[in-house]
Amino acid sequence: MTFAILVVAGSCLLLGFFAGFIMHRSDYCIAGMFRDLFLFRSTFMLRTLLLLIVISMVLFEGARLCGLLPFYPFPLLGTISATNVIGGFLFGVGMVLAGGCVVGTLYKMGAGSILSLVAFIGLVVGSGLYAEIHPFWSNWARKTVLLQGVITLPQLFNLEPWVIVLPAVVISVWCFRKWQRQGLWVRQSYAEGYLQPWRAAVGLAIINLFSYIVVGMPMGITTTYAKIAAYFERGFWPEHFATLSYFKAQPLNAKLAWLDLQLLGGAAPEIDAIAFIQGPVIIGIIIGSAISALILREFQIRWQLPLRQYASVLIGGIIMGLASRMAPACNVWHLLGGLPILALQSLIFLTGLLGGAWFGGRLLTRFVMKS
Amino acid sequence: MGNPAPAIIEFDIRGQICPSSLLITLREINIRRKEIKGGLQEVIILTDNRDATTTVPEALVNMGYVVSVVKKQGYYLIEVKV
Repeated sequence: MTFAILVVAGSCLLLGFFAGFIMHRSDYCIAGMFRDLFLFRSTFMLRTLLLLIVISMVLFEGARLCGLLPFYPFPLLGTISATNVIGGFLFGVGMVLAGGCVVGTLYKMGAGSILSLVAFIGLVVGSGLYAEIHPFWSNWARKTVLLQGVITLPQLFNLEPWVIVLPAVVISVWCFRKWQRQGLWVRQSYAEGYLQPWRAAVGLAIINLFSYIVVGMPMGITTTYAKIAAYFERGFWPEHFATLSYFKAQPLNAKLAWLDLQLLGGAAPEIDAIAFIQGPVIIGIIIGSAISALILREFQIRWQLPLRQYASVLIGGIIMGLASRMAPACNVWHLLGGLPILALQSLIFLTGLLGGAWFGGRLLTRFVMKS
Repeated sequence: MGNPAPAIIEFDIRGQICPSSLLITLREINIRRKEIKGGLQEVIILTDNRDATTTVPEALVNMGYVVSVVKKQGYYLIEVKV
């Protein structure tokens, strides 16, 4: 293993660790934020997500102007197509049924949740299933492409990013100050070692900035779920595996100049750039959350739970895994990485996600939580 | 002679997916509204969901109940009464 790979993998492990620890302390569940908007009309946590996005916007743009970002926009972001909104919708349904998004599932699993472990298995299965429809889906994605070659909103209007970022930030800061005067940033919690979610938002924005500067892109993890599925598929059904084109593609192909490292990777069952970037983030989040839970003596494993919930998280995980490949990418990638640079794919993904979270909430109350 | 001690109704929601704690609590409290308001029943919820230690008290205090949260061995005990 070269020094450059060690730097990348080590940084990702550390960033994942801090993210997992922070998310456990404030129970920073992005799936819950969208679900509770529709189920309980609760906007408290969503406000902190907006704060996270706006802080990231400032940090990313500041880093770009200082020449610190290896890529802009970052790799793996593409041109918008109808698949972004459909993927976003299915992702929203899946994350609500699974009781957490792709990252929420990890930090809850780290704290001992068996249901999140089942959701994780569902995520891997769903990601693997995508390979079956990939030729049809990618073909359809190409046919429904809009604004070929345009990735961000500033690119669409041929503007410098700061021209849009600045007014967006000014308006947001005005709102944030208003909410501060109304005492809407802090809430009373009886959870031991509780971290106010606004602090978690600041922490996660800083972590994502480091990820962007060091690795060349904000945190993302879902291709690795497909990679895990690929290992299983190759092991159990090698002949069928050989026919799946999705596992042969290498969508990540970019040079990280400051480390003189060519980033090359995809969902193939190999230790490539995707594996040494995303793998350590996944492991780091689980370890960070587990350590937080152990320190608080809250690490508990309980498996005697309603069957309906087992079914819900498994189905939700499968839908979410499938959707994360169809969109492509997950909520963390789009909301915490894409939105701050005003990526069009991420804006479209968000509209789908909102609809999906609403529909997922309906399914949850009607079929899973019924008395 | 004093009033009889309220009956304790317990719900163990530990390990369940979100938002089980809040949904089940709201549903059960609404079903037992008269008994709780009359001091005949108290509801106890066992949860390991950290978020529920905020959302459940917030919702129930707004509905006029008295809520206390105590940390036990690896979980939280939420007590709801009038």
